[in-house]
Amino acid sequence: MTLRRKLLLVALCTLALPVAGWLYVRQMEMLLREGQAQALEASARAMARSLVVTHAPLPQGGGAWFVQETPNPITIDGYGDDWAPMTPWSQPLGARGKLMLAEDGNWLYFYVDVRATHRVRADAGDANVMAADYVVLGLQVGEQQRRYLLASAAPGPVSARPLDPPAPGFPDLLVAQWQEDGSGYRVEGRLPRKLGIDAIDVAVHDAGSVDEPIASWRPLLRYSPQLSDELAQLLTEHVRARVLSPDGWVVARSGHLNAPVAEASDQPGWFASLVYRSLLANPLEDAQPWADEAPRMNLADVHTAGGGGATALWRQGETRGSVVLAVAVPLGGDAKDGVLLLEQASRAVPLLANRALFGLLMTSFGVLLVAGLILLTFATRLSVRLSRLRDAAERAQANDGRLDGQILFDRFPMTDAPDEIGDLARSFERLLDVVGGYTDYLRTLASKLSHELNTPLAIVKSSLDNLEHAALPPDAAPYLARARDGVARLGQLVRAMSEASRMERAIAAAEPEDVDLGEVVRGCADAYRPLAGMRELTCQLPGSPLILHCAPELIAQALDKLFDNALSFTPEHGWIRLSLRALDDGAEIELSNQGAPLPAAMQGRLFDSLVSLRDKATPGDAPHLGLGLYVVRLVAERHQGQAMAHNLADGSGVAFVLRLHGMPRQRLGI
Amino acid sequence: MGRSIAIVEDEPLIRANYVEALNRFGYDTRGYGSRHDASTAFAMRLPELVIIDIGLGDEPEGGFDLCRELRARSATLPIIFLTARDSDFDVISGLRLGADDYLSKDTSLHQLAARIAALFRRIESLKAPASSETVIEHGPLKLESERMRITWNGEEIPLTVTEFWMVHTLVRFPGHVKNRDQLMREAELVVDDATITSHIKRIRKKFIAVAPEFDGIETVHGVGYRWRP
Repeated sequence: MTLRRKLLLVALCTLALPVAGWLYVRQMEMLLREGQAQALEASARAMARSLVVTHAPLPQGGGAWFVQETPNPITIDGYGDDWAPMTPWSQPLGARGKLMLAEDGNWLYFYVDVRATHRVRADAGDANVMAADYVVLGLQVGEQQRRYLLASAAPGPVSARPLDPPAPGFPDLLVAQWQEDGSGYRVEGRLPRKLGIDAIDVAVHDAGSVDEPIASWRPLLRYSPQLSDELAQLLTEHVRARVLSPDGWVVARSGHLNAPVAEASDQPGWFASLVYRSLLANPLEDAQPWADEAPRMNLADVHTAGGGGATALWRQGETRGSVVLAVAVPLGGDAKDGVLLLEQASRAVPLLANRALFGLLMTSFGVLLVAGLILLTFATRLSVRLSRLRDAAERAQANDGRLDGQILFDRFPMTDAPDEIGDLARSFERLLDVVGGYTDYLRTLASKLSHELNTPLAIVKSSLDNLEHAALPPDAAPYLARARDGVARLGQLVRAMSEASRMERAIAAAEPEDVDLGEVVRGCADAYRPLAGMRELTCQLPGSPLILHCAPELIAQALDKLFDNALSFTPEHGWIRLSLRALDDGAEIELSNQGAPLPAAMQGRLFDSLVSLRDKATPGDAPHLGLGLYVVRLVAERHQGQAMAHNLADGSGVAFVLRLHGMPRQRLGI
Repeated sequence: MGRSIAIVEDEPLIRANYVEALNRFGYDTRGYGSRHDASTAFAMRLPELVIIDIGLGDEPEGGFDLCRELRARSATLPIIFLTARDSDFDVISGLRLGADDYLSKDTSLHQLAARIAALFRRIESLKAPASSETVIEHGPLKLESERMRITWNGEEIPLTVTEFWMVHTLVRFPGHVKNRDQLMREAELVVDDATITSHIKRIRKKFIAVAPEFDGIETVHGVGYRWRP
């Protein structure tokens, strides 16, 4: 993993910032909501108390039949089509029955739906009617009651048989419609409203079951405009109040939930709403069961309030981005009396929270961006500096410890930096200085040594010369000859040692000119041919002239050394190949010859001075000090190229490559 | 009595050896161990030839100073540098100061004697009129072997003995390629190839200084040099 990636990973820690902010904004929103809920609960309690104090017609405890308002007149035909809008709020009747009550200006309609697959049919007037399926409808006006029996042997209109003696105000005949299908039967009928019925009892007898119908007198419960008016007087703006019976029927309703009209710019966009819902307001109830028109609200919270305690609940509002706070408190001291439900739309909370969150997100994004950019810049700069340091170190290493021109003149990079990298660079520089100095010392040691050796050598030599003229016994002659031989070899050694440094100077002083390299190589090859003896010498040259700005005598000299080298390693009838190739930015001369491959240990230092591959010199012969390839290397480096040696791929021999890029052109004049 | 030669050499053993050897060759040789000794002696009487070492005692460039001094007193006095310092730079400095030859200390006594003889011969021949048979003329070039003198359009080219022999070798057979070995042998010089190359360069420069259009010495890459016929 690179330094940059590591630093970027570390930079991810700044992500903790927005998370912490998000948690904080959430907390703030919770607090805001809590406060709002408490305020609304307080006003709900006050309203409930004032409703009790003003003796408003509150719903009574216990069960009741709720009479719904029908928006359109109902036709008495025994079919439930007209009842469709009210069907979701039908009231259970026994195990398998349903009862719906509705009224309009003149009539009170009833609709009994019984699921009974096994039918026993009999008319109301039949003697066996008590063993058949029937419905008993009891009416109560004031203290008086009267019950009617509804039964039918066939679908169609039925007449009810009164079970009780006639009483004033009660109708003698009750006409209804009876319809049935495979799953059960339905009875639909109507009563005039002016009867002023207070309570109704509906009992369903199923012939299939042994249970006796249980009389369940229940008072009628209606939506009360009077109570609604009273509520409206107590209500503040933008609050909706509903009074619910203990069963959850809406008895009174007032107020509107329209939130304060917001400006267009305050209207949160879909993205903001989404952010609010997904990031902040997780526990929101659905708006559906709280619809304005629902006559019954059978909700757990309402029931909890009915039990005596107040509850607060947040739900989604009808308009986008709005939130509704609903508070339910029991009416009166006892919860049996019903529940007051107050709702207040609040756009402020999500707006505020959204703004806070958006501000937070934007700020932290900006901070993150800036921090990331700074870190990236820092990391990039750091790695660039480190790679420069590495490159410089590698360049120095590639130059065998000698500092190359750039470092020599520009100093080591970044040594002026005041930080740790600067320290490192300075340490590198010191190290390279020491190494370079030592390498220089080693390189010049030979020439210094040879210079020092020259004087004692001259003493011995001149003494030996003089000795020849002295009167010596004949026995001494061979010793004199041997001493002379030894001095000669010593002299050659010393000369070879000083030659290296002299050569470096000579090569450095060489002056370049534009020459056709092909001519130079051809001339060399022609000169070598007589020397090659039995060996086969081939020369490959490019078709067109290859002009290079170079020192031809140096190149010829390098080729001499290479050829000399190749000659000594090539067997008697072997081959030597000399070839010249043009490169994009120079030329490449390759001299390959048949012979033993290079030992792996020598690969790196073959072109160093005083390194030799050959066997120890035979006695009497001049020792070989391996200056030849060193000269080759110096020549190549003088031409901004390099000298390389490698074994041929097929293992048949060795190739020496001289890659030349031409010498820099010198400016004429000063 | 032979010709008088002075050797200025701070190493007593070498000095003694050379003095003895040169005396044996018939010269009247005196050795001096320091520049001061030599200067004092030369103030009395100048020898006919001086052999100087560059580093003299605690004066690393003492030989050069002495050479300058001597040249100031006599333009014709033959001076030979005999030194362990063999860098190109030293050779050029020495010759530029007016020395007639520059020999390395590994030169044998016989070769030294030959050089000395050549220099004396040159002085002799410069005094005498040139005889026709020892003169090689080649276009504007005139080479007088006896006097070891080369002129170009009548103007003298200031060559050292070594350089003279190299040019002599080339000019004797114009058009023939002489390889480095041959040149070395003729100049009685035992040096490496690079030194031959630099000698040739120096010779060219000396010619060009007199005649800018000069291109008489041709390089045959990989082989050697030849005099352009």
